[in-house]
Amino acid sequence: MLVDAIRAESYRLSKNRTALFWSLLFVPVVGLLISAATFIFAKVNEAKLAGKLPPELGLNSAPLDLGAGLVASAAEFANPAVLMFVLIGAATVFAGDYRWETWRLTTARNRRPNLLLGKVVVVVGLTIAATIAVLIGDIASNLVKAVVFERALTFSLTGAQTADLAWLTLLGWGRIVQFVMLGLLAAVTTRSLLAALFVPLVVGVGQFFLPKLLASMGVSPDGWLTPLLTPGMAADLLKAVILGGAAAGDLPPQALAKGVLGLVSWTLAPLVGAIVWFQRQDLSKE
Amino acid sequence: METVIETRGLTKTYGTVKALDGLDLSIPRGGVYGVLGPNGAGKSTLFRTLLGLIRPTGGEAIVMGGRIGDAAAMRRMGSMIETPRFPPFLTARQVLEWLGRAHGGVTPTDIAGWLDRVGLAEAADRRVRGFSVGMLQRLGVAAALMTRPDLVILDEPTSGMDPPGIQEMRALIRSLADDDGVTVILASHQLQEVQRVCDRVAIFNKGRVITEGRVSDLTASGERLRLSVTPLARALGVLGDRASLDGDAVVAAIARSETPAVIRALVEAGVEIEEARWIGADLEDVFMTETGWTGVQAGAAKGTAHAG
Repeated sequence: MLVDAIRAESYRLSKNRTALFWSLLFVPVVGLLISAATFIFAKVNEAKLAGKLPPELGLNSAPLDLGAGLVASAAEFANPAVLMFVLIGAATVFAGDYRWETWRLTTARNRRPNLLLGKVVVVVGLTIAATIAVLIGDIASNLVKAVVFERALTFSLTGAQTADLAWLTLLGWGRIVQFVMLGLLAAVTTRSLLAALFVPLVVGVGQFFLPKLLASMGVSPDGWLTPLLTPGMAADLLKAVILGGAAAGDLPPQALAKGVLGLVSWTLAPLVGAIVWFQRQDLSKE
Repeated sequence: METVIETRGLTKTYGTVKALDGLDLSIPRGGVYGVLGPNGAGKSTLFRTLLGLIRPTGGEAIVMGGRIGDAAAMRRMGSMIETPRFPPFLTARQVLEWLGRAHGGVTPTDIAGWLDRVGLAEAADRRVRGFSVGMLQRLGVAAALMTRPDLVILDEPTSGMDPPGIQEMRALIRSLADDDGVTVILASHQLQEVQRVCDRVAIFNKGRVITEGRVSDLTASGERLRLSVTPLARALGVLGDRASLDGDAVVAAIARSETPAVIRALVEAGVEIEEARWIGADLEDVFMTETGWTGVQAGAAKGTAHAG
């Protein structure tokens, strides 16, 4: 049963402290430490740096709105750094049984699709936990900023901001899941942990920058094919739809449908491909 | 005869190499069944195929009443294929907990019981990355057995174990068959071990079964009469091609029913018989004969013949 596969996979991941550290804790903890060091350095050298730092760093004494900070974090957290570290855990789950030659221990205990879907469910759970951890890290960073710069703390989220927060978090998480599924396909087809890590990472990093490159070349998402072939562009379309305002001014027709279709296709196609491939795969070295 | 495994024309090719070459095999329910063969004979390929790890190129196999990969049939099987490997960050207990969850229905009490039964109770909470090969084998056997399967496939279960461990494993395997009614399929390099523990064996070569039967029948067919006689030359003359020298004795390859006639002929020829006794062929002899191993190969392999 699928539930048995999920229980087994989640149990094994829960015992893999190395994978959990890199996937869940490294980015928020290191991010927090770097932020704290930056804030303290800026505070110590406040006089020297006066007027030289970009205002968006918020190194001033105005009240700090944690709600607005959370929305800003949700809009940006699905970046290549977070992706890389989440992929460490995902690749370990997806390719571990090839690496340790443990498929021969598990395939007699459950159906192959269940075993693979068990991994997918656990990794999706891992991405949710990583998303929450990164957002908590950003909140902690803002708290440190408030303490260092002696800024008053406020928390206000309007209905629209709450909706933005929810949708942006969902989009960022969906973007990570999309690349994680590429990692699944790479793991199953190559049986390699490195491929499971680097294939989605390279594609992911490329997709973060490709939309800007395409825009500079005059390629726009007016048609259906471009956002379908470039998930980064699909994600940017969705972000613009969510944020509205000036960002939505230049949106092409049916931007929402194009964005959703692009992201969903890039998520489901690797998943289905991996399951089909895995069903027919020889799982033993000769 | 009720069978747990039935293959017909089972074939697996890797490029131009036929690892299984139209294999026909029936393994009866109950007892311990040995699978022997030189390295590359197709033994491991057969196991992997039966377990659904690799797909056959041709033919068919029925395992526990279902086709290969049938989920219900697979859940009634346990297996250990070669030296098992495990995620190195898990302890022995966690390995069984993980695999028990994947299967469902395995309790912590079951796990503790199996760790104790394979002699790993004291090492239960140690990470497997520090385990010796013998300890990994024990854990692999526990993993294969903890779901209480009806059919167990054990590929080299005593590899890397010390003599007491081998003895314990032999007792465990016999106990599974005799007390728990489990059908055990066993492959081993240790032919003496196979002879001691198995009820039937199949000898593989080049992807085919070249001989199969009860161990007692296979070894009985190689029985010979050993005669301490004088003079040796006269005895050899009487017995002709059927006799050969073995030190200061003559060994005659004859049927038991011929014994009185042979003794009478020797006595009538003036041969003095000091001792006459039947010596049985062991499985190693059968293996060497059937697989065509002779001379240096057989001498080098004596004791631990390579049964791959």
